[in-house]
Amino acid sequence: MNGRKSFGGGGRGKSATGQQGKDGQRRPMFRRRKVCKFCSDKIDDINYKDVRMLMPFVPERAKVLPRRISGTCALHQRKLRTAIMRARQLALIPYTTE
Amino acid sequence: MNRKYELVYVVSPEASDEQVTDLHTQIESTVQKMNGQIEKTENWGRRKLAYEIGRHKEGTYVLEVINGTGDLMKEIDRRLKVIDLVIRHLVVRVDEEQGVVERTKARRGDTSRRRRVARGLPPERQPGEGQRGDVDDDRDDRFDMGEELR
Repeated sequence: MNGRKSFGGGGRGKSATGQQGKDGQRRPMFRRRKVCKFCSDKIDDINYKDVRMLMPFVPERAKVLPRRISGTCALHQRKLRTAIMRARQLALIPYTTE
Repeated sequence: MNRKYELVYVVSPEASDEQVTDLHTQIESTVQKMNGQIEKTENWGRRKLAYEIGRHKEGTYVLEVINGTGDLMKEIDRRLKVIDLVIRHLVVRVDEEQGVVERTKARRGDTSRRRRVARGLPPERQPGEGQRGDVDDDRDDRFDMGEELR
């Protein structure tokens, strides 16, 4: 059996493992490859009305969680952004917290 | 050219239920006057606002799905701006987005069915096949032996 972690559609590509630094130092850090939540869960429409789905992407300061942290793919991040901006207009999600 | 729009408006918490229904009938009459129709109305009830608007901390949310022209939505937008009872509103066109979603869904279904048939499985998912993720992980079948060889 290969030791691959079971993960939705992210089977392709190497997982990001620790690399050798320039000065020959080993980085034992192992990063699991991030997978877009919307791709793996097959969520097609990112809707501004579904606040519960959007909340994990707006952490405490109510900023949009960047892609490099959430692992969301570009297409879904774009859709997520519009959804969050719409929800903000309707005061479903805050613009900022005091 | 008829298009599908979603309208959400937030009514001030001081408004009575009659005032909210009154607002709805007002919108309905505007829609009918301009040859549109209301597909769906949803009252989300009173919700806490994420931030204060004016001095309000709460609001009653109402969603309407409207079929109509752009001019109709312009008119509704103009009217809602004038009404002080409505503290916030948003009009979004949804028909294009919905079409895209349906197409992706259909395409995904087709691919999955085709792949299942290619693997010699019935085209639809059977109950008790396990999680979706587990099945996807099995795609790597380079080292798999056929059932009969094992």
